[in-house]
Amino acid sequence: MLIQFLLIGAVVVLLVFFLRHHGTTKTAAGVKIGFALFLVLAAVAVLRPTDVSKLAEFVGVGRGTDLVLYGLVVAFGFATINTYLRFKELELRYARLARAIALRNAEAPKHDADLGLDAADVEDPAHSA
Amino acid sequence: MADQSDVWLVVPVYNEAQVIADVVRNALETFPNIVCVDDGSRDGSADAIRGSGAHLVQHPVNLGQGAAIQTGVEYARSQPGAEYFVTFDADGQHQVADVVRMLERLRAEPVDIIVGTRFKGDASHIPLIKRVVLKTVVAISPRLRKLKLSDAHNGLRVFNKKVADELRITLNGMGHASQIVDMISQRGWRVTEEQVEILYTEYSMSKGQSLINGVNILFDTALKTGSKR
Repeated sequence: MLIQFLLIGAVVVLLVFFLRHHGTTKTAAGVKIGFALFLVLAAVAVLRPTDVSKLAEFVGVGRGTDLVLYGLVVAFGFATINTYLRFKELELRYARLARAIALRNAEAPKHDADLGLDAADVEDPAHSA
Repeated sequence: MADQSDVWLVVPVYNEAQVIADVVRNALETFPNIVCVDDGSRDGSADAIRGSGAHLVQHPVNLGQGAAIQTGVEYARSQPGAEYFVTFDADGQHQVADVVRMLERLRAEPVDIIVGTRFKGDASHIPLIKRVVLKTVVAISPRLRKLKLSDAHNGLRVFNKKVADELRITLNGMGHASQIVDMISQRGWRVTEEQVEILYTEYSMSKGQSLINGVNILFDTALKTGSKR
């Protein structure tokens, strides 16, 4: 059936697209365009359900509702991946921020002066601690 | 014993207050430079480190082991005279003697990084299930086979300044081990491995990463292209 090719094709294309180009302005624009299209299609589906049914028949799905459901599943999957990737990226920035703070507040041991020079001296403060 | 003042031990610490001071003290007998990265512990690990004679770098929040290693390496590589770097676990499962041997090789041989392996000699002391999983990881990873590495998830690594300068771990969690392997193959670091002994004490077993975490590692690794920038 045509629908099977369409769905699997959509999944593969979007996945590759996302993983390749994630985070660029192009993708961000793509996501917005996709979302706008999704809204338009939703409005059409509400206003003219018969058209959706015809389309569904054309691609080999029984009813228009089924077609909408399938589309929704794919859209949801991509929304999830998009969110996941965005979270990952935020996490990375957050880590860099935390790292910068950590490095700024680094504490050298109190007997710093001897440390790098004479390994024998370090036992002392270690035991007094 | 050779002068080890150009060596920095990087120890990621997360809730190890019980043991960290002893581990540091023991390692300080051989290595004068140790930086402990406290990864937002809630059990007073930071205070234990303060009294131990190690440098303390403290993440304000918990980020994960990969992030802690990256922070520690960034701190160590900015220190004057730092030439060799060691990643060393905080729970006492690594042996100082192994590190000394690895460093001797790193100084003498034309390699950039030496990774510890549990599988070169007798592996029977490793818990069976762990052994099976670790071996499976190696078997299904073409990259590991190509680099002739038998144990990618060993926390003990010794590397030179070149590697330290180029190291950029972006996977904050446990996926960093595979990421380091990726970097080895992508950046062409010369790698070899060395048999090391891991002490599976009751403490380290209770702390060690659970095998189920392997799922997280696989997932992070599969999708990490998203954050490669």
